[in-house]
Amino acid sequence: MTLEKLKKHFPWITLLTLVVFVGALDSNFLRPENLLQLAGDISTLFVMALGITFVIYLGGIDLSAQSVANMTTVLATLMLPIFGASTAVICVLIGALFGFVSGFVSTKLKVPSFIATLAVGGIALSVGQFASGQRALYMDAVLRDQSFSWLTGNIGGIPREMIIALVLLVGALILERRTTIGRAFKAIGAGELAAVASGLRVGRYKMAAFAISGAFAATAGLLFAVKLSGGSPEMANGFLLPAIVAVLVGGTPLTGGVGGVLNTLIGALIVAVIRTSMLYLEIPATAQQIFFGVVLIAAIAFTIDRGKVRTVK
Amino acid sequence: MSFPDRDVLHRWAPLLVLVALVCFFSLVNPNFMSLRNFARIGISATPPLMVAVGVTFIIIMGSIDLSMEGAVAVCAVVFAAIFIWLGGTLASWAWLALPACIVVGALYGLLNGLVHVKLRIPSFMASLSMGFVGIGLSLLMTGGDRIRVEDKIFRSLLTERYLGFPLMVHVALLVILIAWFIQSRTAIGRNFYAVGGGEELAHASGLDVKRVRVLGFMLAGVFYALGALFAVAQIGIAETATGYNFMFVSITSVVVGGTALWGGNGGVWNTLVGVLIVNVINNGMIVMGLPRYLQDGVLGLLVILAVVLSTDRKSLAFVK
Amino acid sequence: MFELKKVEKTFPNVRALKAIDFHIERGEIVGLVGENGAGKSTLMKVIYGAYQHDGGEVLINGKPVRFENPRQAMDKGVGMVFQEQSLIGNLTVMENIFLGFERQFVKFGIVDWKKMAAAARHQLAKVKLSIDPKMVTSKLSFAQRQLVELAKVLTLEERVHGDLVILLDEPTSVLAKEEVQLLFKLVRELRSRASFIFVSHRLDEVLELSDRVYVMKDGEVVDHVKTSVATAESIQHKMVGRDINKEYYREEKQLSYDPAKVLVELDAISLPGKYQDISLTLHAGEVLTLVGTEGSGREAIIRTIFGMQKPQSGSVTVKGRKITTYSADAAVANGIGYIPRERKIEGIVAGMSVYENLTLSQMGRYSRFGFLRIGDEKALAREWIKKLSVKASSEYADCGNLSGGNQQKVVLAKWRSGGSDIILLDHPTRGLDIGAKEDVYEMVRAMSADGVGVILIADTLEEAIGLSHTIAVIKDGEIQKRFDGKPGHKPSLFDLIHYMI
Repeated sequence: MTLEKLKKHFPWITLLTLVVFVGALDSNFLRPENLLQLAGDISTLFVMALGITFVIYLGGIDLSAQSVANMTTVLATLMLPIFGASTAVICVLIGALFGFVSGFVSTKLKVPSFIATLAVGGIALSVGQFASGQRALYMDAVLRDQSFSWLTGNIGGIPREMIIALVLLVGALILERRTTIGRAFKAIGAGELAAVASGLRVGRYKMAAFAISGAFAATAGLLFAVKLSGGSPEMANGFLLPAIVAVLVGGTPLTGGVGGVLNTLIGALIVAVIRTSMLYLEIPATAQQIFFGVVLIAAIAFTIDRGKVRTVK
Repeated sequence: MSFPDRDVLHRWAPLLVLVALVCFFSLVNPNFMSLRNFARIGISATPPLMVAVGVTFIIIMGSIDLSMEGAVAVCAVVFAAIFIWLGGTLASWAWLALPACIVVGALYGLLNGLVHVKLRIPSFMASLSMGFVGIGLSLLMTGGDRIRVEDKIFRSLLTERYLGFPLMVHVALLVILIAWFIQSRTAIGRNFYAVGGGEELAHASGLDVKRVRVLGFMLAGVFYALGALFAVAQIGIAETATGYNFMFVSITSVVVGGTALWGGNGGVWNTLVGVLIVNVINNGMIVMGLPRYLQDGVLGLLVILAVVLSTDRKSLAFVK
Repeated sequence: MFELKKVEKTFPNVRALKAIDFHIERGEIVGLVGENGAGKSTLMKVIYGAYQHDGGEVLINGKPVRFENPRQAMDKGVGMVFQEQSLIGNLTVMENIFLGFERQFVKFGIVDWKKMAAAARHQLAKVKLSIDPKMVTSKLSFAQRQLVELAKVLTLEERVHGDLVILLDEPTSVLAKEEVQLLFKLVRELRSRASFIFVSHRLDEVLELSDRVYVMKDGEVVDHVKTSVATAESIQHKMVGRDINKEYYREEKQLSYDPAKVLVELDAISLPGKYQDISLTLHAGEVLTLVGTEGSGREAIIRTIFGMQKPQSGSVTVKGRKITTYSADAAVANGIGYIPRERKIEGIVAGMSVYENLTLSQMGRYSRFGFLRIGDEKALAREWIKKLSVKASSEYADCGNLSGGNQQKVVLAKWRSGGSDIILLDHPTRGLDIGAKEDVYEMVRAMSADGVGVILIADTLEEAIGLSHTIAVIKDGEIQKRFDGKPGHKPSLFDLIHYMI
């Protein structure tokens, strides 16, 4: 096998190497229940990263995901007593709406997506703060269990959260590989001008990508709210950058057109392994950030397929 | 009267947006238009201005730097630690902490640039990772504690006022002039534009693009260090959180000022206007008495509006 | 003085240069010709240091040298005059001229702009250009930019001891006739200071300017002649490997079209700066060719028909319905297919397979409720791969890895399989080898026979004459003359050129 062919396998080779490496240092790490927990812990972040993948795949960026998730925790908590289980649907729709607005601002008003999503994130943050009255809110335990018992607990030792994440992954995978939207995304990401010249309505698809990202971010927020049984406009803080990192490390570069949702799964797992390994390697708390940053540089340096990234800017 | 040239209009658009904002807030609340309030805007704008000027050079090259939060935290903590260790007042050898801080900023930027250029990692990812490293480094040094810097002479940057504005605003203006000088009069400054305007062509012309990039990141690091110094002078505390929020504010300001993210245009003056726009909006909302929880959303809306009005996006078919 | 001996360059899967022997003497002007893909640009890149040769030797005055980058080549006196687009638009003229070599004007890190401006004026004087060196280059005309490029390379004169070799890459492609003559005069004068390698696809110009000509084909130098004894025909013959005139004018194969069925009607459309007052009619089965020089407005006209540009006045009628919204997706819905010149950028999506590219414009037809019927897509791809004998390993092959001719077939298949009956072809044979060109001609004739209306911007005039029923000659955005190109009534090359320039 040539290096050229090997390149696209770099992300999961990186993941495997990391797992084996940490496992060699501490065999406890490789215990199934530990690996399972590791995967379970990353579920929410992974769901957010899934959505962002679509936007990055088209060459944009979504910085509003975290704020949308935050807002959703608040809205879900507030709506639960009124709407019951349909809260979930409403939340996802609201998320999609915010994503759509980002997409509109970025494609129609031609504001770079970096700024557009940041600004829309600000709006989401305000909504969250306003709705919550800047307090942490709590869900009624009975109501929560009535409506969302399917989101909590375990099935056969596997956390439900993780199952949901996997279902969403499969959904995203079908969207990416089997639908016209997914095909259009691929065309736009890999050759936007050719997509235009083929008569695709590129602007609409771009807005759709942002809307999908918003919907996934809201789903992540919903999972959060149910898991922690409440909502606050700061609940998902600290998730945005790791989620973006998961997408990038997985091998979907910012220039778009390469990678996809399966890559993001691997990326999210790499992020999870790096984080968890710090416990096993007994890295002191104060040094963990440095460790994370340095390993990240190493992982990215190894993972990205530079042949497909046109210019290294 | 003929309609002004579109180029000319676009060059002045950010400034017009700023003037319009000032007029608007003054009409809503006359207190806005006061020296005291302008001084307040000046104080809040100074540290982000330094950071934004630093990242301007990077953006002109068509790259991006997201490491500023880590860089500012490291610089602030190193400065404070050395400052306290050497006596804790500028009247002693502790003044050495100032150049040391700048050197640390430069080294940090150098490392950032080397990771980006030598490992051929796109700057977005390289600098994002380096940001984590910086935050981590400052955590390691402080153990999560705050370092207080209470030297009266150093704090005079904030407390001493000339012409109504604190010393730090005057120093910042001086730094801006230096940055402008670098941008327009030095070879490296012009090379940033060359790289941003056409990297391949610049390379084919014999320009050492890699060197220019690394130097750019190093220069940005120096400005981040200055930002850190002003931030410490402003609140008298150095900690990991000193760097908090600089990333989004500075990049937003640069874009609002009319420097395009794809590189090749804009500059220091644009960034000054951009930083002022963002800070005027922030300050204006407070003066208007807008509830705190609405401010993020209104800022978001106004930033979109400002970008729409102040940048030339027509010439570009695709906005990423 | 500058010499290549058995120089080789190999890329993954391609031997781009095969044992190239090349030499140039002091003060000589040497032409380099060859079709697209013959290896000219690779050879140039090796000469000016953008590529490194991996076999043979590069010699200067008999001493072997190796350039790791363009800068090292410049240090040895080898400079490249790029096509006019290669100045950095946001920099001033003087900054472009001294880009990468600012050090001479820098004291303590500060640029002495006055000194640089004076030096730039000195360089500009060499090319007889009197413009303000502080001007931003994006404000210059094409001809001016070309001269600034030359001035930039001539700075080597001051920097390098020894002889200069200057490559001119298609320097005349955007110049008007008088400007070309001025440039040639200048180059002849400058031969006292430098040798020139002149690369162009305009054979007449190469013959006029050069002392000797190297002819390349398939990565080899196939001939090398003195221009005093060469003729355009003999060189052309070497370039293509066989007599070219037979390929075109296959009049017996051309069918007549149906004048009763109008597909597209342009009624006095105008777009300031691009074209004025264009009225054309395209019938079913007709091949309508737009002839003109680069920048004459042909491309804008077909992009208007495809909805990517909107005329300021006039109307476009497609199949009896007047167009109100100008967008590519509306045009596709009307059965219009566009085969753009920039095949790799606008034609195919590199990174997507053949079947994915084929259905890109007609996904609605190959999906149900938004889910793709991939089996049907693949069957379609197999069918068309066979029909057009596309050389691809399978329907899964990445279009980016296909050869130019096969990419062109995929783009054509995309539109034809979708039932488009109005096809806009922009330089469809650009960069293709003879065999692939012949395939494209065959496809154009086949479409015409099927009743498809074709609007063609041809790569060469012969192509235009051979394929079309109707020819419109366009100059400066206006139709100068219409020719009937039916078999037996073909206009001559001279007829066309007369109205083009």
